[in-house]
Amino acid sequence: MRWVKSATHRFRSLFRKSVVEHELDQELRFHLERQIAENVAAGMTPEEARRAAMREFGGVEKVKEECRDERRVNRLETLGADLRYGLRTLRKSPGFAAVSVLTLALGIGANTAVFSMVNALLLHPYKFHDLDTLVRVWEDRGIDEGYDARRIAAADAQDLRGRTKVFESMTTFGWRNFSLSKEGNIQPVLGCRVSANFFDVLGVVPAAGRLFTPSEEQAGFDEVAVVSHGIWQRRFGGDPLLIGKTVQLNGRSYTVIGIMPKDFDYPVPVELWVPLALTPAERAERAELNLEALARLKPGVSVAQARAALGNFSKGLEQEYPKTNAGRITTILELRKELYFYSLPLFLLLQAAAGFVLLLACANLANLIFARMIGRQREIAVRAALGAGRARLAQLFISETLVLSVVAGAVAIMASFWSVSALRKSVPVNWTKWVPGWDGIQVDGNVLAFGILLALGVGVFFGLATVLHTGKVELNETLKDTGRGSMTRAKGRLRSGLVVAQVMFALVLLVCAGLTIQGFVHLASVYQGFEPANVLRIEIALPEKEYPNDVKVANFYRQVLRGSAALPGVRNAALVTNSPASNVDNATTFFSIEGQPVLKASEQPSADLQTANPDYFAALKISLVDGRFFSDGDNRDAMRVAVISESMAARFWPRGDAVGRRIKLGAPDSGEPWITVIGVAGDVRQNWWNPVTRPVIYKPFLQSPERGMTFLLRTVSNPTSYVAPMREVIRQVGPGIAMRGVNTLEEEVVESIAIVRIMGILMGIFGLVALALSSVGVYGVLSENVAQRTREIGIRLALGAHPSDLMRLVLGQALKLTGIGLAIALPISFAVSRAMASLIFGIVSADFRVLLGFTGLLVAVALAAGYLPARRALRMDPMTSLRHE
Amino acid sequence: MSKPTDLVQGTLDLLILKTVALEPMHGWAVALRIRQVSGNVLQVNQGALYPALHRLEQQGWIRAEWGESENNRRAKYYSLTKAGKKYLQKEEANWQRLSAAIGLVLKTV
Repeated sequence: MRWVKSATHRFRSLFRKSVVEHELDQELRFHLERQIAENVAAGMTPEEARRAAMREFGGVEKVKEECRDERRVNRLETLGADLRYGLRTLRKSPGFAAVSVLTLALGIGANTAVFSMVNALLLHPYKFHDLDTLVRVWEDRGIDEGYDARRIAAADAQDLRGRTKVFESMTTFGWRNFSLSKEGNIQPVLGCRVSANFFDVLGVVPAAGRLFTPSEEQAGFDEVAVVSHGIWQRRFGGDPLLIGKTVQLNGRSYTVIGIMPKDFDYPVPVELWVPLALTPAERAERAELNLEALARLKPGVSVAQARAALGNFSKGLEQEYPKTNAGRITTILELRKELYFYSLPLFLLLQAAAGFVLLLACANLANLIFARMIGRQREIAVRAALGAGRARLAQLFISETLVLSVVAGAVAIMASFWSVSALRKSVPVNWTKWVPGWDGIQVDGNVLAFGILLALGVGVFFGLATVLHTGKVELNETLKDTGRGSMTRAKGRLRSGLVVAQVMFALVLLVCAGLTIQGFVHLASVYQGFEPANVLRIEIALPEKEYPNDVKVANFYRQVLRGSAALPGVRNAALVTNSPASNVDNATTFFSIEGQPVLKASEQPSADLQTANPDYFAALKISLVDGRFFSDGDNRDAMRVAVISESMAARFWPRGDAVGRRIKLGAPDSGEPWITVIGVAGDVRQNWWNPVTRPVIYKPFLQSPERGMTFLLRTVSNPTSYVAPMREVIRQVGPGIAMRGVNTLEEEVVESIAIVRIMGILMGIFGLVALALSSVGVYGVLSENVAQRTREIGIRLALGAHPSDLMRLVLGQALKLTGIGLAIALPISFAVSRAMASLIFGIVSADFRVLLGFTGLLVAVALAAGYLPARRALRMDPMTSLRHE
Repeated sequence: MSKPTDLVQGTLDLLILKTVALEPMHGWAVALRIRQVSGNVLQVNQGALYPALHRLEQQGWIRAEWGESENNRRAKYYSLTKAGKKYLQKEEANWQRLSAAIGLVLKTV
């Protein structure tokens, strides 16, 4: 409580100053009057008594000042005065103010903008309560399956509920595509089948209506649906009476029971949820990982503890069910980090780059400030002579730089309101709907606090740096010195150090930017192996109810293929499970090679699995390396065949004799049929983050038809004009089947790397800013160094030195500083680029051309910075330069 | 005039606190009382008294109120706060210990 009193006391002293001053005056006057009265009583004359009392008291003003000091208001008051003084001096030198504010604002703004992305995407991707205790649960089979394939077998999930005690609650779910038919109009809806407790685990409640009950997890009772706010608005026109109505999904009638709040769409970007009603067979499934799972950790249980417990659980299952569960490890990952694999390196890189921009801006500003301090040495000396102590001077400098950085911070934050929303909107919705938290990118409290702290930190740092730089003021020398204040040797070293630092930061940043841009340019052309121009893609998902078996599925696709191939201008009508650039990973499978020894489950080779029709390779112009592609003869009655990718052939049959060999999906002793390799196709990059060399097994569509496939139509021109004819073809074969993901393949490629391109553009901007800042900075310091030597150059010239020697001297110094900076920066840049190459997809490796290019650029800037002022000094008449100063 | 050399800084605080612990008192009376009680040995430097009073008030050990003085003038009366009372007890104990210890050393060495 005492501090409250102190604080109110101080507050009163500060803001009710006149009252407090009056009271102090009265108090002291009372004392003096009593003393005088005492003295008079002791027999002095009034005049004598007054003088004696004053003498005994000491200086009244001095006592008052000491009382004020005790109240500690002085410091606050002078701080206010210093801040006002800082503002005034800035106003008096608008050039310096503008340049330094802009420089700093650039640095702070870059950081604030990037932090707004980090804040939204990495720190708060979801708005669930207690996000840190939510984890994704899946079974790791030892194959790198990526974000899309973190799944768990239903029976294992059931065991997990009963046997481990690390979860407070756990829920399972599975993606499902729906076709919503409304008044004869069919639209695709992305949906999810969820356990009844799904929403409870996430801790969300519906905006209207109710959620699922456990009894609705039974087949036959599961025809109820919860819809998202978005689909309620878009497809049902915000119908206030929607709850209780029935909707047609995949040909079945579902009753809408609830509407979720606006910001809920987990797992993004789902629009509709139905109960997860598993059949007894699905429930007992252990071999196939058929579900996804989420859990909430018990309070106090850490992720590491939970992982350890799950490890034991997996070992137990492995012993119990060696056939299905060998080599599987159940693991978890914080929900927050779900997408870190893709996003973390990119954003860390961006934040680091923004940090470097700020460092560069600081180095530039330091130069400006130190140059100003040299000009202000006399002022400082006068202040010191008048009794300003070191602490008092420090306060003055810190207030000045604080004013500067706070103004810069305000500019940066105001600009970031605009730049952040521009950033958010500049990305096509088609890509960002998959990024949890993207819509949350904004300047919120966290971002504001970050920006303000950054500005204050920079201000205080510069103030302190200035104090240290000013060092001990040599009163006599400075005040005697009639000319401009001169630089001491130590200060010269400091400024040389700044040049070195600037060159260093600049090179590291430029190399990072260069490599990133190069990597992104490279990524744009990364989808090699196929030809995306003039291809239309359409996804189809056939409902299980109407297409229960392979024959019906195959018939549907065969008829649509025939219909689309007959359209005028269609070159090839192709079918594939996962078209390139879809931003979805391929399904992965283990396989065995005939004649090779039986391997342990954990050592079995794995490959991506694709199903394609004979025309697929022609439609995408994928090259044939060996053997043949599929034909219509590779059907259900024929020998099982497969085409494999070039990398797979090279890895497993390095002697080039892959064609004719036999492989089997799964373990060699499994009941799967042996498949004969009939051809080797060129490598195709599936997604920008997948290595192009991943082994792929293509199976002929007729031998393993699937319900969900993608049509790829190569047309003579303008593929989008085939959307309407295709809709008609599909409607004729299967009324009620929705077309999804309709896009040209070319557009799909561009969209799939949208985020990467934004990164590239941002890095490019940072790189340009870095180049500009460091060029200006290096040029400024070096040229001023030379300008200060004008007199020396004049003397040397007058004494007969040859101009070319002098030029060499000046340039040598510039090169020396730059050289030191480069010598420090080159190994750092090299290490950084190596690290980037290993962390970020698409950046191939440290590129010496990039390193050398930027090194040359910086050397050129340094030479120009030395040459231009030196030439001016050399051309000057020695008499003029001697008088220079 | 310089700060009192006859009174160590902390000592003045202690004397003020002890004095105002009896009853609310204005500055002049505090100085007078210290002088009288100490038998004219301790002369409080008046230039140091007021800064000390303001400091103690700022620290929350004492509080100030305006009141009527003996001769019907408005004067600022200082009195001990609850926290100040505790602080005084602690400081008194410290002082006793310290002076006893110094006394011991002076006696034996």
